[in-house]
Amino acid sequence: MDREAELKGLMLRGLEGDPVAWRMLLTQLRGALTPYFRRRLSGLEADAEDLVQDCLIAIHAKRATYDRSMAFTAWAYAIARYKLIDHFRRQGRRADVPLEDAAVLTAEHSVEDGVVRRDLSKVLSILPMRQRRLIEDVRIGGFSLAEAAARNGCTEGAAKVSVHRSMKALSASVTSHED
Amino acid sequence: MKTDDLIDALAAGLQPAPPARLNALLLACAAAASVAAVAILLGVRPALAEVLSSPTTWMKGLYTTGLAGAALWLGARAGRPGADTRGPLTALAAVVGLAMLWGAVELLTLPGSERLADWLGRTWTVCGRNILLVSAAAVIPTFLSARALAPTRPAFSGFALGVATGAIAATAYGVLHCPESSAAFVATWYTIGIALAGVIGAVAGRFALRW
Repeated sequence: MDREAELKGLMLRGLEGDPVAWRMLLTQLRGALTPYFRRRLSGLEADAEDLVQDCLIAIHAKRATYDRSMAFTAWAYAIARYKLIDHFRRQGRRADVPLEDAAVLTAEHSVEDGVVRRDLSKVLSILPMRQRRLIEDVRIGGFSLAEAAARNGCTEGAAKVSVHRSMKALSASVTSHED
Repeated sequence: MKTDDLIDALAAGLQPAPPARLNALLLACAAAASVAAVAILLGVRPALAEVLSSPTTWMKGLYTTGLAGAALWLGARAGRPGADTRGPLTALAAVVGLAMLWGAVELLTLPGSERLADWLGRTWTVCGRNILLVSAAAVIPTFLSARALAPTRPAFSGFALGVATGAIAATAYGVLHCPESSAAFVATWYTIGIALAGVIGAVAGRFALRW
């Protein structure tokens, strides 16, 4: 949510003609768009880079269509998705881009893909519930150890030990699966 | 070009950007083109002053103007990436629903023997075609009026602008040329003509509204 407020603030300043804010916004968006397109183009780096540029130009050229009462992420996501569909169409591929939550665009972690999330919950399911919550908070949710400990009602030291044990158990289970 | 350079180039010389809207001047052109098309291609009804003072003419005009308003609202919303289009879609459906309800009530209050004549009028075979003919004159300015927007669903936006075109054309046609005055007629044949304009707009939008 913080990120939304930050980007929206930059957007509003950009609409008023502030080039510094605009440059910051485009740079941040570039950081969000690059993984978004890469993941959906399965490794076609050059195409993804072209699309990022295309999308930044579109965001620049169509910035006046942003409605100040709306979420900025939703607006930017709709443009990114449109550019992706348009790219597939131009290649003659069937454009089948599911409508996702706009937050995928600004999610730093790459775990929002359904497949990954399903695999992840399968792997995590070997852990006891309490340990699992802790590791989800720290390794996926982006909380600090202290925050995660507070959320789960234990001391920071205990949380640290728990996360360490969980990681050990998880890597052991993954290795044994691969054998 | 490197992406860093691109960002620098875009940020340099940034101008303030007031909210993008449908271009009102071009929409006025669409209305003027519709009036001209009716006058030149179909002819204006004789005794126009009398026609203009009759309430049925105004009711026809009110229906098609309402449709045009709802469709333009939808087109404007659909041209904003990520915007919710349920409001204008509901308004569009409500306008059509009201007209159909009114037409149905009218038919039900008539004696059975007069219903068919009331529904088909004298011009049901040409009504839709004439609306499409007039629409052809209005379509280009209507589509151009959305150029500043960014439709992320081009076919859907094309449908909205097509319906708007049809409704603008039907307003000129209904007030200046069409001799029909029954609500059932307008609710059916006008709606069909305007819906066809919407379908054609959707097909055209897939190509014309890409950006």
